[in-house]
Amino acid sequence: MNTSFLLRRLGYGLLLMLGVVVLNFLLIRLAPGDPALVIAGEMGGATQEMLDSIREEYGLNKPVAVQLLLYIGNVLQGDLGESFFFNQPVSSLIAQRVLPTILLVITAQVLSIVIGVVLGVLAARKPNGVMSAFVSVFATIGYAVPVFWTGIMLVILFASIFPIFPVEGMQSVKLRDASGLVKALDILHHLVLPAFTLAVIYLAQYARLSRASMLEVLGSDYIRTARAKGASPRSVLFKHALRNAALPILTVAGLQFGNLISGALLVETVFNWPGMGRLAFESILRRDYPTIMGVLFFASGMVVVANILTDMSYRLADPRLRGKG
Amino acid sequence: MNSLLEIEDLRVTFNTRYGEVTALDSVSLHVKEGETLGVVGESGCGKSITALSVMGLIPTPPGRIAEGAIRLNGEDLTQASEKRMQALRGGEMAMIFQEPMTSLNPVFTVGDQIAEAIMLHQKVDAAQARRDAVALLDRVGIPSPDVRAGDFPHQLSGGMRQRVMIAMAVSCRPKVLIADEPTTALDVTVQAQIFDLLNEIQREFGSAIILITHDMGAISEMADRVAVMYAGRVIEEARADDVLDYPQHPYARGLISCIPALGKDAGGAGDMLAEIPGVVPPLHKLGAGCAFADRCAHQAPRCAVDKPLLAAHGHHPVACHGVEEGWL
Amino acid sequence: MRDQDTNFQAESPALEAWRMFRRNIPALIGVAMLSLIILATLYGSFFYGGDPFDIVWAPQEPPGMTPEFPLGTDYLGRDLVAGLLTGGGPTLAVGAAAAAITMGIGISMGALAGYYGGWVDNLLMRVTEFFQVLPALLFAMVLVTLFSPSLFTIAMAIGLVSWPQTARLTRAEFLKIKQLEYVTAARAIGARNKRIIWKVILPNALPPLIVSATLTVGVAILFEAGLSFLGLGDPNVMSWGLMIGSNREYILDAWWPVTFPGLAIFFTVFSVSLIGDGLNDAFNPKLRER
Repeated sequence: MNTSFLLRRLGYGLLLMLGVVVLNFLLIRLAPGDPALVIAGEMGGATQEMLDSIREEYGLNKPVAVQLLLYIGNVLQGDLGESFFFNQPVSSLIAQRVLPTILLVITAQVLSIVIGVVLGVLAARKPNGVMSAFVSVFATIGYAVPVFWTGIMLVILFASIFPIFPVEGMQSVKLRDASGLVKALDILHHLVLPAFTLAVIYLAQYARLSRASMLEVLGSDYIRTARAKGASPRSVLFKHALRNAALPILTVAGLQFGNLISGALLVETVFNWPGMGRLAFESILRRDYPTIMGVLFFASGMVVVANILTDMSYRLADPRLRGKG
Repeated sequence: MNSLLEIEDLRVTFNTRYGEVTALDSVSLHVKEGETLGVVGESGCGKSITALSVMGLIPTPPGRIAEGAIRLNGEDLTQASEKRMQALRGGEMAMIFQEPMTSLNPVFTVGDQIAEAIMLHQKVDAAQARRDAVALLDRVGIPSPDVRAGDFPHQLSGGMRQRVMIAMAVSCRPKVLIADEPTTALDVTVQAQIFDLLNEIQREFGSAIILITHDMGAISEMADRVAVMYAGRVIEEARADDVLDYPQHPYARGLISCIPALGKDAGGAGDMLAEIPGVVPPLHKLGAGCAFADRCAHQAPRCAVDKPLLAAHGHHPVACHGVEEGWL
Repeated sequence: MRDQDTNFQAESPALEAWRMFRRNIPALIGVAMLSLIILATLYGSFFYGGDPFDIVWAPQEPPGMTPEFPLGTDYLGRDLVAGLLTGGGPTLAVGAAAAAITMGIGISMGALAGYYGGWVDNLLMRVTEFFQVLPALLFAMVLVTLFSPSLFTIAMAIGLVSWPQTARLTRAEFLKIKQLEYVTAARAIGARNKRIIWKVILPNALPPLIVSATLTVGVAILFEAGLSFLGLGDPNVMSWGLMIGSNREYILDAWWPVTFPGLAIFFTVFSVSLIGDGLNDAFNPKLRER
C-alpha cells in the first residue's frame, strides 16, 4: 500500500463530494418556484421572517456564482442548513441518525457476503448439483422480490404468527433506559429482521457471483498445481481458489454499497428503523429539502468512503496491483 | 519387473456431448528409477491425459479410468483412496506443467507455495519449511533466493517461474517426476537451461522422469526411452536412439523428419506437422481402423477396417500393418 | 477433448441465438408469464370493469369471502382485483420508459467514451463515477419530489439514476470491438466516426446490451414500485407500488392488500429476468456447457 495512491484516492473522493454539493445547489435552483420557498418547505408554514433569513443565509439576492460559493463555504464548515420542520440544524439531525444506518448496512453487507459466498462455493463444487440449482433459482427469485415487500411479509409473519423478533424500531420501550449488554442485545434483537430483509437480495447475488467466479478459478492451471502437490480438497477450495475468486466479489461489494443504502432506505421505512433512510422518507413527505439534501450529501459520502475502502482492500488482496500507481 | 511406475492397458473415457469417447486406449508404459521416458505426439494425442491419470487428476466427471492399472512401486493407483492419492501427489510423484505463467497461484508468494508443498508431506514447522524453500530456490538456480522467496509469481520471468515450479515439484524428492511440455512456453536458451536442471535433479535424487513433449529435439537430449502416441494409443515404443534413428511407424517417421526445425522456434503444440498432412482426428470420430490411416501416405485397404496392435515387428514394438506385413 | 468439428454451415448469430432461446424452457415460461401479465393489464379492466379508486365494499374484506371481490378489498374498501388489473399498466409503462431512457443515456455515454478514448473517455467516465456515488433511490426521490411526481418525471428520474452501469458495459464492448479488423476496414474505406459508431460497432455490441436492457426493465419496475411505496408515485394513477404503500399502515389488520400487488410485481420482474437469463445464455452458447 503506498501513500501516494491513498492520497490521490482521497483527493478524488473529495472532488466527488464537491460535485454532490454543486448538484444539490443546482437541484434547488432548477426546481420550479422560489428557492427560498423550496428550502423552507411547503409544509414548513414559511413565514416572511423565515424566508428572509433563508435569503440572507443562502445569499439568494446575490449572483448565482456567489450563492454557490456561499453554499460550498457553509458545507465546508459542516453547515448543511436548517430543517424548518424539525427546527434543528440538518447536520445534527443526521448525526443522530447515522449510526443506526451504518449498523444496519454493515450488518446486512457482512451477512450477505458471508452467507452468499459460502453458498456459492458449495455450489461451485458441483456445477450441476442440487446446490447449484438452488443458488441460481434463489438468485433469480431474490432479484425479483421488491425489498420493501419482503420486509412487509416478514413483519406480518413475525408480528402475528411467530412473535420472536420485534418488527418495529431499534429498541424496546421498556428497555429504553437499559445500558451496556442489555441494550446491545436489545438492539441486536431488533436488528435481526431489517438486516436479514436487506441482506437477502444481495445474498442471492453474491451466491450467484461467487459460484461463477469459483467455477472460473477452479478451472485454472494453478488449482491443478495445488492439487498436484497434494493439497486437500478443502484447502484447494477455500485457500487456493477462494482467495482468487474473492477479487471480483470484492469489486461488486464496493459497487453494491450505493444500492445497499438505497435498499436501507426502504427497509428502514418498513421497520421504522431510526436511521437516515427513515429521516429521508419523513423529510420527503414534508418537503423538507435541506434535510433531504443533507441526507443525499451524507449518503454519497458513505458511498465514497466505502469505495475507497474497497479499492484499498482490493490492492491488499491482489498482489499484482500492489506498488502500482 | 523392476519398474518404478507401470501403466498397464489403461483406458480412459470422457463423457462428451457426442457420448462417451475413449481418450486413452490400451496404453501401457513403464519407467525405472533414474530413467527418463519421453512421450511424444501432437496435441490431443493423449500425452497429457496419461500424465493426469497417473497423478489422479483426471477431471471426474466427465472423465474416468475405465480399465487398466497404474502401479507405483506395485501399488495400484487406480484403486487408491483419494486420501492416499493426496499423500502420494507431491510426495512420491510430482508434476511440472506446461504453462509456468499461469500454473502458480497469483496471490501467494513463491516461497509460500513451495513451503506449502513441503509442509503437506513432511513433518516440519513453518520456519523450517521456509528455509527449505529458500534452499530449493537456490538449488534450481534462482539468484538471491531469500529475497525471491518473498516475490509473487507476476514479479518473475517465465523461466524463473518454471524453476519455481521445478523447485516445488522436487521439494519432497519424488520418485516419479512428470514434466508436461515443461519448456514449450519458454525461450530456446531458457529451454536448454531447464533441461540441464532436470538432468541434474535426476542425477541427484534418482527420480524417474516422464517427459511429455512434441519436440523431438528435447527427446534426443533427455530421453532414454521413447513412446510415440497417436489418438490415445501408443503406436511405437523403444530406446530413444532406436526411435530416432530407425523410426518404424509412418507417423513417427514424420515426426522425426521434423527435427531439422530444432534450433529455431519449434512452434506451438497445436502446429500442424509439416511432413504429415492433416490433423489428429477428433476422438468421437475414431473408427474401427488405424487412426492414422487418413493421413498416411501408405494406406492399405486393411488399415481402414482393422486396428493395428502394438507388437514387436522387426526392430522394436510398433502398431502398423505395413511394418507388420513388411511392405513398409 | 476439444471439438474440432467445424464442418457445419455457419448460421447468422441472431438466428442461432433464437434457436438456443427457443429451447430454453425457463425463458419460454418467462415469455408466457410476461405476455399474460401484459394482456391482463391491457385488457383486463375492459372485461372486469370498475374504477380502482372507487370505494365499493366494506374495508378490508378478506379474499374469498365475497364472490364479487375475489381478492377482497383494501383499507378503504376498494376492489383489489380492479387495482391489480389497472395498476399494472403504469408500473409496466414506467418500467419500459425508464429502461429506454437508461439505455439511451448509457449507450450514448459509453459509446462516445469507448470510441473516442482519451480526454472524452476520461471526462465521461468521471461523470459516470459521480453518478454511481449517488445512492440511486435517494437521488430519484429528490428528483421526483422537486419536480412533482408524474409518470413522466418518475420514468425520467429512474432513467437518470440508472444509466451508469449501461455506460460502463457499452464502453467495455466498444473498447473491445473498435480494435477488430472490420472496424479498421470501415475506417479505411473512409467511413465517418458517426457511421462507425452507430452502424458498425453498435450492432455488434448489441447482444450484451439487449440482455442488459431486459434486466434494466426489471430493475426499473422494482424502482417504480419502491418510489410508489414511499408515496412518491403519481397519486392520481393506481399502481402496484401505490397499493402496497397506501395499505402499509394496516398490514397487521389485513395481509392481502399488500401481498397480492407484491406478488404481481414479483412475477413481472421474475418473468423479465427469466427472459434476460435466457437471452444471455442464447448469446453466450459457451456458458451453457457449464
